Amino acid sequence: MSAPTRSPFADALAALTRQRGVLGSMVVSESDGIVVDSNLQIGLHGSAVAALAASLYRKARLAAEAAGFGACGFFQLEAERGRVCAVGRNDLVLVAVAEPRANLGLIRVEMLKAVETLG
Amino acid sequence: MTIAVVEGWLEEPLRRFVEDARVQVALLLHPSGQVLGQHGFTRAVDVMSACALAAAIHASSAELGRQLDGRPFGVIHHAGRTRQVFLAPATTPRGPLVCLAVFDDATSLGLVQLYFTELRARLAAVRPAPAPAAAALPANFELELNRNLAVLFGRA
Repeated sequence: MSAPTRSPFADALAALTRQRGVLGSMVVSESDGIVVDSNLQIGLHGSAVAALAASLYRKARLAAEAAGFGACGFFQLEAERGRVCAVGRNDLVLVAVAEPRANLGLIRVEMLKAVETLG
Repeated sequence: MTIAVVEGWLEEPLRRFVEDARVQVALLLHPSGQVLGQHGFTRAVDVMSACALAAAIHASSAELGRQLDGRPFGVIHHAGRTRQVFLAPATTPRGPLVCLAVFDDATSLGLVQLYFTELRARLAAVRPAPAPAAAALPANFELELNRNLAVLFGRA
């Protein structure tokens, strides 16, 4: 019997979701807004967050390009009760959802490390 | 934005779906092919063709699903070069409907799926007035089809 197939993003997502205050992380197709792989805590509505975050990231990337600022780097949305962070490469977006108490610096470092797995 | 519906209770759910999901074209139809609401079409003949094709695709995929999987397939998505088609069933107090949406890169499949879930919930929750009893494919199908198209395009 063959071993179950693991996504190439599984380890990076697990490492990201292990960070204190991170509620979940996902690799999402930027153009489709569909979840490619995810590591989520119970209660997080992954597909809705994925679709909206990918759309936001895409628009931010296009806005940065239109303004002549080049490629979009790290994207962060601060809301009343949490944060959404995203970083993309090759039509894939790595999305992390975190509580306000989360250490954003650590999350950022972990995400920039993880984005290397997107190819 | 022009939303045209045959029955008023469909208007608000369809409008919200079109606004939120940013689709170019949206059709609500009975599985038999009768149009019930539309956005994005300007000619009745195009609506008629789209409804006939959507009903046929929905029926074919449902039957294929039954044969392969024991139950009908649900959502169909077809990605073209610049535009994509999304076809999915919904249930209302008046019975099943089919929704056809066409979209481009102003939105995404994930967003269309997300807002279709909301459309489906709204359609399931509305309480329309009781409909007159009629068979799914009555003898006066063509008459009904033409009446619905006339209502949508202001010729009733």
